[in-house]
Amino acid sequence: MVEALLQALISGLAVGGAYALVALGFSITFTTTKTLNFSHGEFVSAGAFIGMSALFLVLGKPLSSTTFGDAVPGAGAQLFALVAALGVMGLLGWLLYVLGVRPFAGRPGMAWVMSTLGFGVILQSVGLAIWGPKPVVVPAPVGDTVIRMFGVGVRPQELLTLGVAVVVMIGFDRVMNRTMIGKAMRAVAQNGNVASLMGINTNAMMIGAFVVSSALAGLSGFLLAPIAQASLFMGLTVGLKGFSGAMIGGLSNPRGCVIGGFLLGVLESMVNLWQAQWREVAVFALVILVLAFRPTGLFGRSTVEKV
Amino acid sequence: MKRLAHPAAVVLVAAVLCGLVSLSGNDYYLRIAFMMCVYYLCAAGMNVLVGYAGQKSLGQAGLFAAGAYAVALITSRTELSPWLALVIAAVVSGVCGVLIALPSLRVKGPYLAMVTLAFGIVVEKLVGEWTDVFGGAQGIYGIRPLTWNGQPLSSVQWVILGIVLSAALHLLLRNLLQGRFGRALLSLQADEIASSSVGVRVYRAKVMAFVVAAVTCGIAGALVAQQNQYINSDFITFHLSIFILLLVLFGGAGSMYGPIVGAVLLTATDALLARWPSAQHFLYGFLLLFALYVMPGGVVGLFNKWFLKSRHRGEGAAGSGVPGQIGPGGEGELLVVQGVTKSYGGVKPAQDVSFRLQRGHIHALIGPNGAGKSTMINMLTGVVEPDAGVIRFLGRNIVGQPAHTICCLGMGRTFQNLRLFADLSVLDNVMLGRHSRMSNGFLSSLVAWPTAGKQERATRERALQLLDLVGLGHLAHWPAGSLPYGLQRRVELARALATEPQLLLLDEPAAGLNPQETAELGELLVRIGKCGVSILMVEHHMDLVMSISDHVIVLDYGVKIAEGKPAAVQANPRVVEAYLGVDDEEDMAAVPA
Repeated sequence: MVEALLQALISGLAVGGAYALVALGFSITFTTTKTLNFSHGEFVSAGAFIGMSALFLVLGKPLSSTTFGDAVPGAGAQLFALVAALGVMGLLGWLLYVLGVRPFAGRPGMAWVMSTLGFGVILQSVGLAIWGPKPVVVPAPVGDTVIRMFGVGVRPQELLTLGVAVVVMIGFDRVMNRTMIGKAMRAVAQNGNVASLMGINTNAMMIGAFVVSSALAGLSGFLLAPIAQASLFMGLTVGLKGFSGAMIGGLSNPRGCVIGGFLLGVLESMVNLWQAQWREVAVFALVILVLAFRPTGLFGRSTVEKV
Repeated sequence: MKRLAHPAAVVLVAAVLCGLVSLSGNDYYLRIAFMMCVYYLCAAGMNVLVGYAGQKSLGQAGLFAAGAYAVALITSRTELSPWLALVIAAVVSGVCGVLIALPSLRVKGPYLAMVTLAFGIVVEKLVGEWTDVFGGAQGIYGIRPLTWNGQPLSSVQWVILGIVLSAALHLLLRNLLQGRFGRALLSLQADEIASSSVGVRVYRAKVMAFVVAAVTCGIAGALVAQQNQYINSDFITFHLSIFILLLVLFGGAGSMYGPIVGAVLLTATDALLARWPSAQHFLYGFLLLFALYVMPGGVVGLFNKWFLKSRHRGEGAAGSGVPGQIGPGGEGELLVVQGVTKSYGGVKPAQDVSFRLQRGHIHALIGPNGAGKSTMINMLTGVVEPDAGVIRFLGRNIVGQPAHTICCLGMGRTFQNLRLFADLSVLDNVMLGRHSRMSNGFLSSLVAWPTAGKQERATRERALQLLDLVGLGHLAHWPAGSLPYGLQRRVELARALATEPQLLLLDEPAAGLNPQETAELGELLVRIGKCGVSILMVEHHMDLVMSISDHVIVLDYGVKIAEGKPAAVQANPRVVEAYLGVDDEEDMAAVPA
């Protein structure tokens, strides 16, 4: 029993790490542009598939193949795949901002909800046209030998996901709080007009926010692919749970978002022990519960609308 | 009999369509026609939610599923009549609609959109994974179809049923949306705070919109399940939610005809592309991404551009006579404020403030910037809740009451930074003011019961009278946002008067007006006072304050420093100090007491 719980805790933390990365991505665009990427989930899938096709490229297989067979990509190939996933996703984020967000940002009516959703639908249908709907087993960069700790078996990819997530988030936190770029970003988040009067290039900051946020989505897809198989449909639930984590923690507070992401991963993993089909229901019930008592999340600050 | 022209036309069109359908024997085309009707049902309800209430729902597939699976479970496991099952399915999905609307009490905008999206996904997972009940991908067989004379409906009859339901829904929603409720929904889309300040129960209106969308979507789902006699989890996908949303946005949100256009065009496209599912999805993505950019009003919006111009010129407003009495007049205490305190962190806009307002008087609330005047108005009207203290209006403590309740009690207000419903006409803005005074309910509006029409006409007449009072009768049909600033202030005043206030709160009514306009405003306020309305105004124009007010209250940093007759207040040394400041003791002594 204790082993099962511990096992669930560790895999929950690993998946929670991926959720936290997604949640952080939501938080970044929301604070700087007051918009969210409603296709963030598709971006997670896209990250997984771009990483995968980069591996195919190194192994000399056609990009549209759907199986690795016996081929095991080396460390260099994996590193290349990581860089490719981050870079391409960053570019996609920039494209999304230019096509779907900038024309609508700051205007009433939330047309950006539709345009970002549409962008995701396009991404997914392109993916379906290339790879089809079947999930692909992706080899892990750190191998698949199960490590035994305290009597429970842990997959190295889970530890890697957890580690990478923690490192990225600590790094992000430092950048936001200690550097000039972080200060500029926070200034744009507080008041874009004033920030631009102070000579901050708000447009660049907003593009940067989308690039970073999309790259984080790509990273989480890249990390999740070996754990859960790469699938074009994996992203939707990951994206939603990342958003749920962000809502639980408070969208306006990056640290809160990260905590929310981890919390959700563990909760989901625990519910999974008991009844798998109630997993999603439990997660969203928690979100509704949190929103009912603290609409701005556990760590979010409430905003006062001036009348 | 102009009123019956539209329903007659709809019945005629529906009859012609039914005739055409019964001539056709091609099952493929009949199937497409049936799906057009089904999607119209979804889209028409969704239009109430998206186009009128301005709430984005990304989980309509969940409601579609609620209807479809309700009908499936009832008809495959019990002996109930399939028609009754259809009705129950509508109720079940309506209940689910309330369920999604609940979070809208606490969250708005993108949060709410995400919650609805989550709802859709949860339902998708439930019907897919909870196989004991919903059968998952295996699905539920043996759903009994609707029957006519004991026989299951034929393909032609299904389409006729679809057309009849669509026509009926169109007429019902038209009744609902062209009157009191349509206006209320549009107003809360534009500005929730202003909406509640004119007496619209914002939350209830939102729930209503969610339920309407849920019921129509549930009926659509139930029809599909009964027609196929089979349902499985493949029907319920995120793409269905997107498709339903797209029907409205592509056709034209907020227009009565948008959903029709959207349903016909997109269902036809869907059928054409059915062989290439990824091309279908690509097209929907493309439309979502660019449709709103290229045509914000949808297909219908493109055509409206030409029609609307001619409509604006058409009607000249014919207001008649003077408004006469607005409030009850009389004498005595109207409002008592006792020890009201409010603080935002270190800023304290009200500290233990007390004052009394008399019926029939014009009161002024003055003070330097940051004195807490607007906060006081907001606390009186229920927009902001005070930390401590009692506000008694008509002998009743109104602290903690929602804004619309306070409005219904008889307190009207204007805003410092105009909060008009910019896209609505001047007339609609003022008619909205009377929202809380209209007694026609949801059902009587839906079926266009004669009382609803009577209320509507009375409100219209009253609004035109008030517009004449403020001198804007000739601009009644212009969008409020298109008027110059000074005139917009007057529209807001007329809207506040339409709520039939006993106490009118004006937050800087003369801001941005030139001296001539300010003097005219003063005369107007005196005239309004004579109609039985007591006034409390926040104002910086001292000449206006001194010339028309009976009683002046002075705030400084959230503290009441003086009150009394205008002349007495003007001479009060503490007031002078607050406005001009003092350097030291000598200056203080130099001010004549």
